[in-house]
Amino acid sequence: MSNQKTPPTPSRGTRREELRRQQEAASARAGRLARATWIVGLAVIAVMAGIMVWAFTRPADPGAAAPGALVAPAGATDAGAVVVGQESAPVTVTIYADFMCPYCGQFERANGGDLAAAVSAGTAKLELHAMSFLDNASSGTRYSTRAANAFATVANADPAAAMAFYRLLFEQQPAENTPGLTDAQLTDLARQAGATEAVTASFAEGTYQPWIAQVTQKAWDSGVKGTPTVLINGQTFTGDPYTAGPLAAAIAQAAGA
Amino acid sequence: MPSAALAALVRLRRSNGWIWGTMLFSALISLTASFVLSVDAVVLAADPRAALACNINAVLSCGTVGTSWQASLFGFPNAFLGLAAEPVVITIAVASLGGVRFPRWFMLSAQVVYTLGVVFAYWLFFQSYFVIGALCPWCLLVTLSTTLVFTSLTHVNIRDGNLYLPPRASAAARAFVDAGLDALLVTVWLMAVVTMVVVKYVPLMT
Repeated sequence: MSNQKTPPTPSRGTRREELRRQQEAASARAGRLARATWIVGLAVIAVMAGIMVWAFTRPADPGAAAPGALVAPAGATDAGAVVVGQESAPVTVTIYADFMCPYCGQFERANGGDLAAAVSAGTAKLELHAMSFLDNASSGTRYSTRAANAFATVANADPAAAMAFYRLLFEQQPAENTPGLTDAQLTDLARQAGATEAVTASFAEGTYQPWIAQVTQKAWDSGVKGTPTVLINGQTFTGDPYTAGPLAAAIAQAAGA
Repeated sequence: MPSAALAALVRLRRSNGWIWGTMLFSALISLTASFVLSVDAVVLAADPRAALACNINAVLSCGTVGTSWQASLFGFPNAFLGLAAEPVVITIAVASLGGVRFPRWFMLSAQVVYTLGVVFAYWLFFQSYFVIGALCPWCLLVTLSTTLVFTSLTHVNIRDGNLYLPPRASAAARAFVDAGLDALLVTVWLMAVVTMVVVKYVPLMT
């Protein structure tokens, strides 16, 4: 008991030694800790490098374009457009759009009525390029390609229903980064537009998917930078595409010229 | 001998030339990226309709980073902040390479201001990654180079005791830097950012 109260005073030499030992132990501890941290850190770096390699090399997901035979819908232009309207119409309106593109939806909702009117009046014919570059914006379902394929299928077999189907696809446009409409919903819209069941039954076959990919590539190659891109008789339409009026006026002007 | 090579590497990393050089290099990259983004912002302001389309670069959505409210949080394009701040960093780095020693209060102020900048850069990174969902390569470059400027500045300020830390914290910070753990931390950090971007965007581009 009394021993603990009065510990023996260490001589100066041993005390210095004790202090030195403590410091050495502390720095050895710090060194070990630093080494351990380095090892953990390097392991984390290696894991992340592995994840990156995996991200770059993993096989494309099975839903991606199955390369099939290139089939173009009947009546399509070489540039990849589905043509709607009378061949003799004096004005050609060329539209590059993706069914998932919200701005294309805005354009179509603002001008769809005027375009349909110009087509039925025989003033204009439409060259519709359905692109698929927003395939990534549908949670993996490749909505742009599916919708464009459905449109091409209808244009091929039921051309009279094509325009109505095109407009319905934009009227019922799904929001970006959602799975989009299901094949069944696409079928319903096509039926509403007047397509026969025999036609809609083949949506799932994806007959025109390789062609859609080619249409998209041809659009970029021709200098299209984004969607919607609208041309009137080959001249880029530069008016406001998102309000009704300017496009109709430009078509009327082109028809009168 | 690997240990000799390692020692040479450690010496190089601790050298003034390396530290200020890293800072200079990163600040130049940041300045370039800020300049590109500023020009983009001015072009966009002159023709707002230029952005109202789904363009060829749409990676995930047609909303682009440049037209988001986050891109001009203070009422002007964020990139203008980079145009103002990076030349100061460049000046500090060049002067220090030339042997100038700045007062402690000056370096502390630089640290405080740049820390705010880094916080802002990462807020923007997370907004574009999780909220806007579109990839902005120049913004990413700013994020990465800003991180490097920040870590070299912090390294210097810890080494030179410019941060007015209490003695124990100062000693701990110095031990951390001496063990090279700041280099490890920033490497892990940058790798994590790049991995996040690769994992999210690479599958979308193939």
